[in-house]
Amino acid sequence: MQPTTLNGALPSDIEIVVVGGGLLGLCVAGFLAEEDREVAIIDAGRPDGTTTNAGSLHVQMQSRFLRLYPDQVPALEAGLHLYPKAVDFWFELQRHLDADFGLKASGGLMVAESREQLDFLAKKAERERSLGLDSKILDRDELDQIAPYLGPAVVGAELCADEGRLDALKANTALRRWVRRVGVMVTGETSVDRVSRDGGRFKLDTSRGTVRAATLVIAAGPGSLTLAEPFGLTLPVESEPLHMNITEPTDLFIGHLVQHADRMITVKQLSSGHVVIGGGWPADLSPSEDYAAVRLSSIIGNTSLAQHIVPAIGRLRIIRTWAGINTPTGGPGILGPIHGAPNAFLAIPGEAGYTLGPLSARLVADTVLGRRPTEDLAPFSPSRFR
Amino acid sequence: MMAERSQGDLTLKIEFEGETLEAHPGESLAATLTAHGIRSFRTTERGAERGVFCGMGVCQDCLVEVDGRPNERACTLKVDRPMMVRREVSGRTPPAVGVVPSRPPITIEDIPIKRPEVLVIGAGPGGLAAAYAARLAGAEVLVLDEGSAPGGQYFKQCSAADVVPPDTQHREGRQLIDDVLTSGVTVLSNASVWGAFPPLEFAVTMSGSTFCVQPHQAIVATGAYDRGWPVPGWTLPGVMTTGAAQTMWRTARRLPGKRVLIAGNGPLNLQLASELVAGGADVVAVVEAAPTVGVRRAKEVAAMLATAPGLVADGIRHLSRCRHAGVRMINGSVLTSVGHHSRGVLATIDGREAGEFESDVVCLGYGFHPSNELLRALGCSHVFDPEQRRLVTVRDARGATTVAGVWALGDCARLGGARVGLAEGTLAGFAAARALARPLSAKAARLEAHAEATAARHRRFQKALWRIYRMEESLFPQPASNTVICRCEEISYGQVEAALAEGADSPREVKQRTRIGMGRCQARYCAPALEDFLAERIGRLPDEYCGFAPRVPIKPVRVADLANPLDV
Repeated sequence: MQPTTLNGALPSDIEIVVVGGGLLGLCVAGFLAEEDREVAIIDAGRPDGTTTNAGSLHVQMQSRFLRLYPDQVPALEAGLHLYPKAVDFWFELQRHLDADFGLKASGGLMVAESREQLDFLAKKAERERSLGLDSKILDRDELDQIAPYLGPAVVGAELCADEGRLDALKANTALRRWVRRVGVMVTGETSVDRVSRDGGRFKLDTSRGTVRAATLVIAAGPGSLTLAEPFGLTLPVESEPLHMNITEPTDLFIGHLVQHADRMITVKQLSSGHVVIGGGWPADLSPSEDYAAVRLSSIIGNTSLAQHIVPAIGRLRIIRTWAGINTPTGGPGILGPIHGAPNAFLAIPGEAGYTLGPLSARLVADTVLGRRPTEDLAPFSPSRFR
Repeated sequence: MMAERSQGDLTLKIEFEGETLEAHPGESLAATLTAHGIRSFRTTERGAERGVFCGMGVCQDCLVEVDGRPNERACTLKVDRPMMVRREVSGRTPPAVGVVPSRPPITIEDIPIKRPEVLVIGAGPGGLAAAYAARLAGAEVLVLDEGSAPGGQYFKQCSAADVVPPDTQHREGRQLIDDVLTSGVTVLSNASVWGAFPPLEFAVTMSGSTFCVQPHQAIVATGAYDRGWPVPGWTLPGVMTTGAAQTMWRTARRLPGKRVLIAGNGPLNLQLASELVAGGADVVAVVEAAPTVGVRRAKEVAAMLATAPGLVADGIRHLSRCRHAGVRMINGSVLTSVGHHSRGVLATIDGREAGEFESDVVCLGYGFHPSNELLRALGCSHVFDPEQRRLVTVRDARGATTVAGVWALGDCARLGGARVGLAEGTLAGFAAARALARPLSAKAARLEAHAEATAARHRRFQKALWRIYRMEESLFPQPASNTVICRCEEISYGQVEAALAEGADSPREVKQRTRIGMGRCQARYCAPALEDFLAERIGRLPDEYCGFAPRVPIKPVRVADLANPLDV
């Protein structure tokens, strides 16, 4: 690997250690440091360098999820009310940091190409409305008023008012600045090989020495699986590499987060004018599993579908593709204290984790601080996996 | 309004922002516009004007809208019909979003796959030589080339025979191209190989459609592109690479401007000056970074005369033509900035001689960088060569890389010029055929032995040449806070400096904080400059990981083309 001079020395003894420097780790550490706690982040890769998210703000239930995991729908519905709050919280965090995340919540459209798909969306919207979401069905004439960029194949769509997008690069940059400003120590390229108890403290054996901490927060995405094992937990977390494409910038013309009732796709346009095309197409983990590689089949399938739904995309050129690691949890997130292991916490947000990230981090930080979180964390308890 | 084809088809009419321009059929749109004094093709998001820079489809700065299609590269777009051309203006409403036709979605299964025995990528001297050799040994060979006609940069051909009398270099290239075509090799032009996927698959778009190639053997001969020279004003319209100016002249007999200043390091600048002088341009000066050749270099001159007397004679011919025309030859100085001037651009030079020059155009020829993106995407090992200050592909004497079935030759593997490329092409072509268990005939074996000797001879020539042309490191551009380092995203050295102050310590970290390298050219100019900057500021030495990770697509690829399988 590349030599590094950026990362601070590994602290040998610290009040709180957060393992994982992605969105969750950054936010938890930042919230705790703002309360004058002494916090260090340890990341196996480049700290905050692996945040490769595409920046969709999801609220409505993704049809991809409903199709892939029908058995998990009840659990998903139980946590659905968190999503609009999570979007609000992104805006709150942006204000709090006095930063520009490129946030926009102008609504999300899930498009249908047939009467059958539209019926499916109508039932979904009705169910979501009963759970408190602002969802409604638009016919083609109504779509022409608000989304003239949609292609002729689209017959209607579900509009969910709270959805949107942000520029993940801008957000991540602002979050990095924030955690450094509030005094979080950040150490990268340091893997945590073993976690154990040492008296009243946690002992972390890392690739660069031993760290002791009074409080442990595990926010390591798929890497949380092995870290949680010493506490008797078997987390259902997986490592799911997903493909993304980005076009050259153009004038803003796509105002919504666009998805499909029956196919894997997300399309959105960032404030910079770049169109991001994603939605769950597969990528590969490299043999060493430390980075993900793109597949030609995903480039072809994903982008050709995008120009079918939004024809003007056909005129644009793809300038980059990449893959990011999603962490499915087999249902809702895994948030809060590990029972039977005082001062150990988990922070894994679950489906559409980037949307849920800051709010999930706030809830976990509150439990670490001994405050009562604003949401009931019982449905998200790590104890489910004991 | 429809543009009309003029009488007799001698010229084509180009409508540009209300003006009607006469184009020679077959020339690049950039050549047409430049010949009519149009230098600004585009306005960036920050309101900066841009025009032709690289002239070879790499920098993406000459983008124009052609017949309603945005972001067409004027430098690679051949004028073969009347066209309506508009400047690209950032922030202008895109044309007719609602009426763009779409295609039904496809999957990878719809994309046809070609499975040639040997695939050669690049139809420059090396690629053509490789194709010829592999075919001679009996292999089935497919050549893919991004250009509109084979020849690459060195053997680029005249676009219209009635306009352009060919010279020796043209004729040598024509002969090789004809030999390749008559030998039964399939050569596809306008074919952009934009992706390479392990173990051995390539993604290609050609004339608006997509196909894949899964060859038994792949020979990568993708050449090099001009190095950037990040000084104040290097992004201005009217500043282009020596290669861009030479392409206009050699392919279309269009001058890049009437008054030309040439600044750089290496013999290509002298050749350009000589050619432009012959074409009637006023070459204001040739500013060479290397010191004058003195008696101290007698050993190198002797070595060059011994290895390639013809090339030395060419050089002397170019020099005497320039001298004869009264061109100022300045040694030991470099371009330090370019500014606007009422009638063109104003260039400042510094070094042994300092001064200012007015001209229509400034040509920059400060060397090259290898186009090794496909090789790196396939996982071929590279090492950093401190002498060349470039990545070099790890190869054996025949061009075999560290990945089975992948061969690399010429400038993309290690900068060495066209003659080395030609010889290495022959060697790699035969080696690939041998890997297919094709025995070499006596003739082939002779050619192979000859190529081996030629390659060695021209490597010795290059070594001596670049000792003579070695420039002092103190003359490299001094990064100034306001100077643009990343042309695409318009990132300045000052912004990079700020990222370092925040703790960034690698190209990747600087990229995430500033967006450097995230634009259309895929970091081809800023990544090497950033490596130099990081080496100087924080002592981070370039290594195998230098630059940014190679990303697919290595050249921008239009979504409509991806959704359109090649009709076979």
